[in-house]
Amino acid sequence: MADSREPPPLFNDDDDSHKDDDNDDLFTSAVQSPVSELTTPEEPRRQEGLGDPLTSPSPAASPTPDPPSDSHAGNPTDLFESVGEPPVGGLSSVSLESPTGGEGTQQELPSDPDTTLVDAPCVESANMSSFDAPVEDAGTTGVTGSDDVVGTAESVDQSSPPANSTSDSVPATSEVLIESSVATQELADTDLSLHDSPTFLGDGDTTEICLDDNAKDVPEPPVPASSILPPMGAPLTPPVAPITPTVTPNLTPNVTPAAPAPVTPLPAVRQSPEELEAESGDEFIEIQVSDPQKIGEGMSSYMAYKVTTKTNITYFRKKNWSVTRRFSDFLGLHGKLVEKHLHSGRIIPPAPEKSAIGTTKIKLGSDKTAESGSQDFIEKRRASLERYMNRTGAHPTLRADPDFREFIELDAELPRATQTSALSSAGVLRLFNRVGETVNKMTFKMDESDQAEGQWFEEKTQQIESLDAQLRKLHLAMEGLVAYRRELAVSTASFAKSAAILSSVEEHSALSRALHQLAESTERTHTIHHAQADADFYYLSEITKDYIQLIGAVKDVFHERVKTFQTWQHAQSMLAKKREAKAKAELAGRMDKVQQAQEEVAEWEVKVERSQEEFDRISRAIKKEVDRFDVVRVKDFKDMLVKYLEALMTSQQQIIKVWETFMPEAKAIA
Amino acid sequence: MLEIARLDGMEEVLHSETNGTKSGRSDTVDLNDNSLQVDISDALSEREKVKFTVHTKTTLADYAKPEFSVVRQHEEFIWLHDRFEENEDYAGYIIPPPPPRPDFDASREKLQKLGEGEGSMTKEEFNKMKQELEAEYLATFKKTVAMHEVFLTRLAQHSVFRTDHNFKVFLEYEQDLSVRTKNKKEKVEGLFKSFNKSTDELLLAATQKDVDDYFEKEKGFLLEYHTAIKDTTTKADKMTQAHKSVADSYIKLSTGLSQLGTIEGPRLEKFINKVADTFEKARKVEGRVSSDEDLKLSDTLRYYVRDGSAAKDLLYRRLRCLANYEQANKNLDRARAKNKDVHAAELAQQNACEKFELITNKAKEELVDFKGRRVAAFRKNLIELAELELKHAKAQAQLLKNCLQALQEE
Repeated sequence: MADSREPPPLFNDDDDSHKDDDNDDLFTSAVQSPVSELTTPEEPRRQEGLGDPLTSPSPAASPTPDPPSDSHAGNPTDLFESVGEPPVGGLSSVSLESPTGGEGTQQELPSDPDTTLVDAPCVESANMSSFDAPVEDAGTTGVTGSDDVVGTAESVDQSSPPANSTSDSVPATSEVLIESSVATQELADTDLSLHDSPTFLGDGDTTEICLDDNAKDVPEPPVPASSILPPMGAPLTPPVAPITPTVTPNLTPNVTPAAPAPVTPLPAVRQSPEELEAESGDEFIEIQVSDPQKIGEGMSSYMAYKVTTKTNITYFRKKNWSVTRRFSDFLGLHGKLVEKHLHSGRIIPPAPEKSAIGTTKIKLGSDKTAESGSQDFIEKRRASLERYMNRTGAHPTLRADPDFREFIELDAELPRATQTSALSSAGVLRLFNRVGETVNKMTFKMDESDQAEGQWFEEKTQQIESLDAQLRKLHLAMEGLVAYRRELAVSTASFAKSAAILSSVEEHSALSRALHQLAESTERTHTIHHAQADADFYYLSEITKDYIQLIGAVKDVFHERVKTFQTWQHAQSMLAKKREAKAKAELAGRMDKVQQAQEEVAEWEVKVERSQEEFDRISRAIKKEVDRFDVVRVKDFKDMLVKYLEALMTSQQQIIKVWETFMPEAKAIA
Repeated sequence: MLEIARLDGMEEVLHSETNGTKSGRSDTVDLNDNSLQVDISDALSEREKVKFTVHTKTTLADYAKPEFSVVRQHEEFIWLHDRFEENEDYAGYIIPPPPPRPDFDASREKLQKLGEGEGSMTKEEFNKMKQELEAEYLATFKKTVAMHEVFLTRLAQHSVFRTDHNFKVFLEYEQDLSVRTKNKKEKVEGLFKSFNKSTDELLLAATQKDVDDYFEKEKGFLLEYHTAIKDTTTKADKMTQAHKSVADSYIKLSTGLSQLGTIEGPRLEKFINKVADTFEKARKVEGRVSSDEDLKLSDTLRYYVRDGSAAKDLLYRRLRCLANYEQANKNLDRARAKNKDVHAAELAQQNACEKFELITNKAKEELVDFKGRRVAAFRKNLIELAELELKHAKAQAQLLKNCLQALQEE
C-alpha cells in the first residue's frame, strides 16, 4: 500500500506536466458543474466529509438515478449558462472563440446524444488520469471508491458503441459525473484557475479537448493508474480513442490551449479561493512537535519526534491527535510539496536544514552522556520543525495537500524519504541545478509585454532582495546579541561562584552573609540572563533566520515564473519559425509539406497559448502568494517583536525582584 | 592612527570634565579631620602621560601656605609609595596601595578596531559605537584619577603618614620631582629584590611558626582572601564587560530594525521604529548597568585586592621581624655559650625584640582598621550597587512597558 501511494511520476515530470494538467483540468472542469447542478449548497460540504475516502469507504453509491435524467435535460442549459459566464480563460483570443464555439455545440446538445455521451468518457478519463489524486489521498478506501468509477466507466464503455441511443448511457454518464464530483469534492483545492474551468463544461469544444488530450495521453496515465488500480487501465482506453474522431477535429487546436489555464498539477482541488479566504478565518490548525527521541544506535540511529495536531478543519478525522515522525520525513514532506506546488507559484516554507555535524554528534553520543551542546541542537531543531509545520499548516493550500495530511494523520511509519540526505547524489544534483539556476537568474532579463505587471514583479523582486540583505544583517546583529548574552550569563554564573567562595573566606560575619546573598542574587541573575539569551535566540534570531529562508522560497517562486516566461518565449519563437516554414512551403507549392507545416504550426500555437496561460496563471498565483507572504510576514514580525519585548520586560521584572531581596542584606552589614 | 588622533583630541576635552568627577570618590574619606585635605583638581592626558593637578588645603604649621597646587605624574605617586614602603618606621603600618598605572590601551585598541571596521557599518552605527568608546575611555580616565586621589587622601587622613617629609615634598614642591622611571639596572635589581622577597615570604610562611595565634589566623585569612577576591575581581570584570557587549549589540539591533522598517514600508515602519527606539534607550540603560556594576562592584573588589595585598606585606614584614628576633635570640644564646660579644648580641636581641613588639602592636591595630575599612566600603558600595541595579531595572521595565503599550495602540 505504501508503494502505491508514491506520487505518480506524472506530476513530477515537467515535460509532461501540460498534458497532465489538461487532464486534471478537464477533470475539475467537467466535474465542477455537475456538482453545482446536482447538489444543494450544503451538499458539497456533506459530500466532502463523506467523500473523504479515509472516512467513507463508498461514496459512489449516493447518486440516485433521477438526477441524471434531470441533468440530461437540465444540464445543458445550466451548463450553457456557466459557459456564458465571463469567458475567463485568460487568453483573449481563446476566450473569444470558445463561447461562440460553445454556443454552437450547446444548441445542438439536447438533441445530440453523441455529445452527451462524449461527456462521459471525458469525465471518466479525466478521472482516471488524475487518479493518483484520490488514491494518494485515500489509500485503500480511495481505491474502493475509485473502483466504482471504474465500474461505471466500464458501463459507459459498453454503452459507447451503440452510443446513439441515450437511454443506457445517460444514467451511466451522470453517475460518473456524480461519482467524480464526489471525488473532486474531496480533492477540492483552491486553485485559482478553478473558476475558469466551468467555461468548458458541457461544451462541445471541451469534450473534444478532453478526448483529444486523452488520446494523446492514453499511453501515459494508465501507467501510474494501473499500478494503483489494475482493473482500470485497460477498459478505459478504448472508448476514448474511438470517440475522438467523431468529434469535430478542426476545432481542437483553437480551444485546446484554453484548457491549460485552469491546469493545476495539484491532485487536490478543494474549494474556491473565496471560500477559502473566508474560511481561513475560523479554521485553525496547531501543530506541536515534541518529545525528540533517539531511536537506534550508532550511525543508523535517528531522531523521532511526536507530531501533535489540534485543528477544527473538517477534513481531518479528529480534532486532536499525534503521530511519530523522523527528521527525514519532514524533509521528505518538504520535497514533495516543492515538487507539487513550486511550479504553480506557491511559496513553500523551507524545512530546517540538515546538519551533518550536529546529527553525527547526536548519533555517536550515547543517551546518558548527552552533552548540553547536543541537547541545545535537538531543541533548536525541534523548535524549527515545529515552526516549519505550523507555517506549512497555515497555508490554506498546502495544508490540504494529501501528502501534508498523510504526514500529520497517518498513524504508521511513512515510506522512507529518499534523496533527503545532504550528501546523496540527488543532493549534489540539486546543488548543481541551483548553481545553474542562479546563473540563469542573474543573466536573464525579462522583457514583459504587460508593463504594469512586469513593474510589479520588478519592484517586488527588488524589495525581496533588499529585505533579504537587511534580514541577513539583522540576523547577524541578533546572533551577536545572543552570543554576548550567553557570555554574560556564563560570566555571571562564574562570578556567582567566586563570590560564594569569597563569602566563605570573609571573616566578618555580616559582610560574609551579604556576599553570600550577592552570590545567590547573581546566580539568579545568571538564570535570568540565560533565559533571556534563549529568548533572544528563539524569539528573534531563529524567526529572522526562518524568514531569510522563506525569502529564498519566494525567490524560487519568482524564478519559477521566469522559467515559465522563458518557455513561453521559446514557444513563440518556435511558432514564428514554423509559420515561416509553412509560408515557404506554400510559396514553393509543396502541398505535402504545407500539410505537415500546418500541423506543426497548430501544435506550436497550442503550445504558445498554453505556456502563455501558464505564465499568466503563475503570475497571478505568485501575486496572491506574495501578498499573503507580506501580510503574514508583517504579522509575524509584529508578534515576534511584541513577544520578545515581553520577554525582556519579564527579565527586568525578575531582576528587580532579585535586587529587592538583596537590598536588606547589604543594609544589614554593620 | 587617525583614530588615535581623534582620541587624543578628545583627551583635551577630558581635563575640564574631570573637575566635577571626584566628588563621588572622595566622600569615602572621613571629613572630620580637616587639617590636611588633598584632592586632584584636574587631570590632563597627553599622549602616554597623564598630568594630575594635586590640590592641597591645610592648617598644619609645617606647610608654608594654607592652599596650593602642584602638577604630578603617575611615576611620582609610585615614588612616594616606594618611599613609604622602604621606611622602616612604617613597617607596622599597612601602606596604602599605589594607584594602578593609567592604562588606556584597551580603549585605544577598541577604537582602532572600530576604525578598521568602519566600512562594515552604517554611519549612524559607527558614530554610536564611537560615542560608546569615548564614554568608556572617559570612564577609565576618571577612574584612574580617582584611584590616584584615593591614594593621597588615605595618606593625608593617616595620623602618622601625613606628617611624612616625603609626602610634604610631594605635595608642596613646585618643581618636577625629577623621578626618572627606573633604569634597566634598577629594574633588574627591583625584580631581584621582589623575587628575593617572595621566596623569603614563602620560606617564612612555611618555616616560621608564629607565636601569636591571632597573626597565624590573620595570615591564613589574608592569603585565602587575597586569592578569592582576586578571582572574584577578574570574574566581575568579565561580567561587566559582557554586559557592556550586550548593551553595544543593541546598537546594531536597533539600526538594523529601523532599516528594516524603511524597507517594509508603512505597514511596519511605524511599529518597528518604536521598537528600534526602545532598543536604543534600553541600550543606554544596559550600558549604565554595566558601568555602575564596574564602579560599585568591580572597583571595590579591585581596591581590596590591593589593600589586602598591602596588609599581606605588613604581615610579611612582621614575620620577618619575628624571624630576626628569633635569630637574635639564638645569636645571644650562642654568644653566651661562647662568652663572646655577649653585650652586642644582647643589644641586638633587645632591638629585635622591641622592633617586633612594636610592629606586632601596630599591626594588630592596622588589621582591625583594615577590617573596619573593608566592611564599611563593601557596605556602602553594595547598597549603592543594589540601588542602582534596581533603578536601572525599573527604568528598563517601564521603558519596555511603555513601548508595549504604544505598540498595542497601533
